[in-house]
Amino acid sequence: MTMGAILETKSLNKFFRDPVEFQALKNINISVERGEFVSIIGSSGSGKSTLLYILSTLDTDYAGSLFLESDDLSKKTKNELASIRNEMIGFVFQFHYLLPEFTVLENVMLPALKLGKKHEEEIESDAMQKLELLDMKSQALKKANKLSGGQQQRAAIARALINDPKIVFGDEPTGNLDSKNSQNVLEIFKELKKNLLQTILVVTHDMNFANNTDRIIRLHDGEVVQH
Amino acid sequence: MRPNIRIALTHLKAKKRQTIVAMLGVTFGIAIFIFQAGLMSGFQSTFINQTVNTTANIRLYNEAEKDRPSIAGQVDSLRNNLIAVRNQKPKEELPRIKNGLQIIESLEHHPEVVGVSPFLGSQSIFKMGIATVAGRVSGVNIEKENLLFDLAKNTRQGDIFDLQTIPNGIILGEGLADLLGAHLHDNINVISPKGVELEMKIVGIHRSGLTEADKSRAYINIRNAQKLLQVDGAYITDINIKLRDINKAEILAKEFSLKYKYTAQDWKNANANIFGIFKIQNMITYLIIASILIVSGFGIFNILMMIIYEKMQDIAILKAIGYRDRDIRVIFLTESLIIGFVGGLLGLLLGFTMQTIVGNIRMDVKGFVSMEYLKFNQSPAFYAFAFIFGLIVTAISGYIPARKASQVDPIEIIRGK
Repeated sequence: MTMGAILETKSLNKFFRDPVEFQALKNINISVERGEFVSIIGSSGSGKSTLLYILSTLDTDYAGSLFLESDDLSKKTKNELASIRNEMIGFVFQFHYLLPEFTVLENVMLPALKLGKKHEEEIESDAMQKLELLDMKSQALKKANKLSGGQQQRAAIARALINDPKIVFGDEPTGNLDSKNSQNVLEIFKELKKNLLQTILVVTHDMNFANNTDRIIRLHDGEVVQH
Repeated sequence: MRPNIRIALTHLKAKKRQTIVAMLGVTFGIAIFIFQAGLMSGFQSTFINQTVNTTANIRLYNEAEKDRPSIAGQVDSLRNNLIAVRNQKPKEELPRIKNGLQIIESLEHHPEVVGVSPFLGSQSIFKMGIATVAGRVSGVNIEKENLLFDLAKNTRQGDIFDLQTIPNGIILGEGLADLLGAHLHDNINVISPKGVELEMKIVGIHRSGLTEADKSRAYINIRNAQKLLQVDGAYITDINIKLRDINKAEILAKEFSLKYKYTAQDWKNANANIFGIFKIQNMITYLIIASILIVSGFGIFNILMMIIYEKMQDIAILKAIGYRDRDIRVIFLTESLIIGFVGGLLGLLLGFTMQTIVGNIRMDVKGFVSMEYLKFNQSPAFYAFAFIFGLIVTAISGYIPARKASQVDPIEIIRGK
């Protein structure tokens, strides 16, 4: 185990059995250092999203080991993994996936309410702080479905940060944004890394985005060809 | 507020119209439940009350032996021969209670007995002008009879106690008086099976509420009944007994039967066929009610399924940010229980209102029993039962969609976009 590695895989293999058996990931050994901003790239079908879902514990159907802070996640139950996602992992998706009937503030508060370690007032002030960080404070009481795409993505980033996660995963976080908003999100991630020493792992096919990260992991046909 | 409940409430608020429709389904189900069950039970208890009021708690009488062993059979004590005796003729006997007056006196001293009334009944023909009606006369001691059946309370016209002072007085059932076209103080003729005819004066018109009985029954003094049947002054056929506690009727009937060697029938036994009908009636009612509630259950099921299909993304995202399968189940189960709870409460209110309104409309029902207003059983037990049953149905119909929601695989939703 590499010193300082926050996330590490050992001989990770993934098979799809339906409709035909197909090996999506072949013997993946990667690690992400604390405070690193890493991108995973590859053509579509290279297995990069599949890898992300495994790394982020959503997919548990794989062979090999996955460590988050030296803790072997491949042996955890579904419920334990849900708690780990809640407390240690932040998510930013391509489609912003806010709960549309809730306000921006409530969306940001949801993971912390689930964690239940703080009082609601405390969570609310935390959420306002995160929204301020992302320049979204003025939108806090709007319904999520009333925001523009760029604003929604910033709200989603605020939600990813609410429990101060060990690592933030991005699944094509700029895939659905125009170039101005994409640049905006990239700048936000860079600042998070710089100011909060936030570890970030992003799957993207946006080369401009990837070139601005610390390190690129390139996948080709389920194999790591550059890291 | 817990986040799961908050999410459930937000879902329901976002789907106001569907939520209200689902709630109304439960509301009507529960309201009909209460209305129907209250009506049925109210009717039954009215009927039972009226019947019990006109049935003796225990009736002592001389029953004809149906299974009379032949003398030859009794002699053949070893029971190893087949014996056939045809056309065995029973001894000519009157269905009288021997020593009736002594038995009455003995019963009156029993601590569980409040009233004892001798009775002599007979088929008879009532005649007035050309109107002729077949019915039954009940020969009674009106004072004792009143103690048992509260006849004075149900007297419509006249004074029943005139039976003691007017030597040939008669009290007619309301229906019987109508059939004869007879009024108070008219004279009518009563003809017994023995051919004895007595002219009698109507001193009272009586209404028990049981339509059949009121159309055929008349009360006369027991002496006149003995005259009609040409029997002696100690002749009676029945002894009716009123008890301190009617629930002891069954046990005491057995005791009296053994003690006095006559058949003793308690009121439950006498009305067994009615209770049997009620059982079937109740079963049908509850089946109908259950199916109504099951239909409202399907309504909830449908609406939750719809919400879940629309909320697949929400479910995926909630799971991604750390909500467990159980949380998702709780969210959707909470939604159905809120629908059931609010719908159920409204249903209780609506059911109560319906009962109150219908209960105040004058109906003048004349069927099996006659009553002016429908009587509802508004016992809290019915309300509680309806409410709990409604919650169980909603819980079951919510659980299936909730389980389905909890099984959503977030990757499929996130990847599938």
